[in-house]
Amino acid sequence: MNHPARQLFETDVLVIGGGVAGCLAAIGATESGARVAVLDKGGLLERCGSIAAGVDQILAVAEDGPAWDTPDYLLRHVPKLTDYVVDMKPVETFVRGLPGMLRKLEGLGVPFRDPSTGKYFRHRTFGLPGEYHIDFDGSKFKPKISRAVIDSTAQVHLRTMAVNLLTQNNQVLGASAFHIRTGEFYFFRSAAVILATGDTNRLSRNTSGLPFDSWHCPYNTGDAQAMAARRGALMANMEFTENTITPKGISSQGTNSLTGLGAHFINAKGERFMLKYDPAGERARRDILTSAIISETLAGNAPVYCDCRHLPGDILTRLEETLGVDRPSLPRWFKEKGIDLKKEPFEVTVSEFSSRRGGVYFRGSGILIDQKTGTNITGLFAAGDCCTVSGGISGAAVMGYEAGKEAAKFSRRNGAGRRMQDQELEAEQERLFSALGASGKLSPGEYEEKIRQVVTDYIGYRRTEEKLRSAVERLRNLAAEEGILRARDGHELMRAHEARNIREVAEMVATAALERRESRGSYSHYRADFPNRDDANWRKMIVLKKGESGYEVGYRPTGVENPPEEKHHADIDQ
Amino acid sequence: MPILINEDLCVKGCTLCDQFCPGDIIYRLDLQKVPEIRYEEECWYCGSCEEYCPTDAVKIVFPREMLHSKTQAESLFGKAENDAQNKLEAPPKP
Repeated sequence: MNHPARQLFETDVLVIGGGVAGCLAAIGATESGARVAVLDKGGLLERCGSIAAGVDQILAVAEDGPAWDTPDYLLRHVPKLTDYVVDMKPVETFVRGLPGMLRKLEGLGVPFRDPSTGKYFRHRTFGLPGEYHIDFDGSKFKPKISRAVIDSTAQVHLRTMAVNLLTQNNQVLGASAFHIRTGEFYFFRSAAVILATGDTNRLSRNTSGLPFDSWHCPYNTGDAQAMAARRGALMANMEFTENTITPKGISSQGTNSLTGLGAHFINAKGERFMLKYDPAGERARRDILTSAIISETLAGNAPVYCDCRHLPGDILTRLEETLGVDRPSLPRWFKEKGIDLKKEPFEVTVSEFSSRRGGVYFRGSGILIDQKTGTNITGLFAAGDCCTVSGGISGAAVMGYEAGKEAAKFSRRNGAGRRMQDQELEAEQERLFSALGASGKLSPGEYEEKIRQVVTDYIGYRRTEEKLRSAVERLRNLAAEEGILRARDGHELMRAHEARNIREVAEMVATAALERRESRGSYSHYRADFPNRDDANWRKMIVLKKGESGYEVGYRPTGVENPPEEKHHADIDQ
Repeated sequence: MPILINEDLCVKGCTLCDQFCPGDIIYRLDLQKVPEIRYEEECWYCGSCEEYCPTDAVKIVFPREMLHSKTQAESLFGKAENDAQNKLEAPPKP
């Protein structure tokens, strides 16, 4: 068929993804004097990314007085918080960058301080050894940092999906992309590329059965992970998956603040069960909370409820005020369902799972980065939830900014790689648009449903060698069906590429989960056939590299030096 | 339909919901007509369109599956081929 025109762009730093990591990357790179292009699938930079609709808390080290409020203190606890599988060097870049980033974001106009007190409203959650989270009204967070990008020299290309990285001799040459409405083909030639497209969703089924009803942004589909992996980037920690607690029927963010502010979980017998699982109770790490709910359900104690009735009036008021900050529609859902959380417990369960960080801060599942956000591909950098250091919006901000600075430096020193030949671009355009107008039988939605079925049934939460082998095989067989995908327009072409990327990530999850013959991180990786943690053999990262037939598996040490009985243990239970 | 638009309140020429939708679901290509909900099954139900509509013309409508979910949560935890192996005596340790 006749393809629409193609456009070529040249830049020093190409940023793929316009969320928090991508925006801070663009800010870091433009501050260093680089020409920058930012691509995102969304229609408005202010509302691109996982927290497009808002955010209600940030992990912060403010150096505000308390002994725990320093990078050193937090760093000492990272090994235990990640069950000793974490890449300490880049995590150190993240944690040491936290105080500076808080000030930088405040400088961009983000209001972290409570306007009524002038202080940070801090609370302790997710098993962290101090009140590291600041509750704030983050409805303007993304618009503020986006404004800084729009006001800079960076060029922003919206409704633009990047599809493939182009490399030669393991060096980045640029990336191919297209406009999701006009179907125009783009090639961005760039010395350095920063991948920042976030996590992977639409991977498994949930209680509503609607794939786009997901906890995290359903339009984050592992685009960076898949495009990096296809070019031979090393991928790590892929076996760890993550879910959250959601009111039954809506997979929503925004429920963290409930447990952070003191809500209890009770089971069908009316028992408050969390203390059975963790001394921190409902303030335990996210993966421990979701695992406890899975365990209670499997033990026949479902339904499980969230109970806020005991909370004092001012906290309840605060809860109601902040419920819609992460997800504007959540208060309306409660209302339509007729639930008054001040008066009655409401049923909760676990969401579908995502590939992000296995329920713990600091250890991301994705593109393996070094302490300066570089990868094993020359000129390729990664930040945010698509890489091996993941830590909410502050992780994305610190590492994104670092990536921007580093990529600009790399670009200045090395210059762009060779120019692509016309016929190479033509071939790439042909590949990228192959589903468009094709008479293929399979819609992207139908294809994705097959992937979710395999992931839910054969990866799931009760993993065994037999099921995981089957998952790898089924997912690889599904790769062969990519050829019969059809797309009628640019939008459907985007969904077709997203489905391919989701399948690629699912294959990585299955492959790594099959390799890790132990259980670690509760249900983020639970092997029913190896139910115990095996520190002697598995305190290491599993690293994948795409080969001719499936992924090759390797290992990597973590850099965690403390023995399991670390001396700071006592701090945690204070 | 996950998103209802009140024709009487919707301001002609405004494209905010089209721009704010993170999923490329709402299209207002003809500025004189009511925005089209083109890919309704791909709605996140995030509520951004409703939240940012300057004239309150947009309303998110939750489907039955979300308000009255009948799914047994256990069916989402993976195939249980071997019940003895999968019935856990104790929860897994982190």
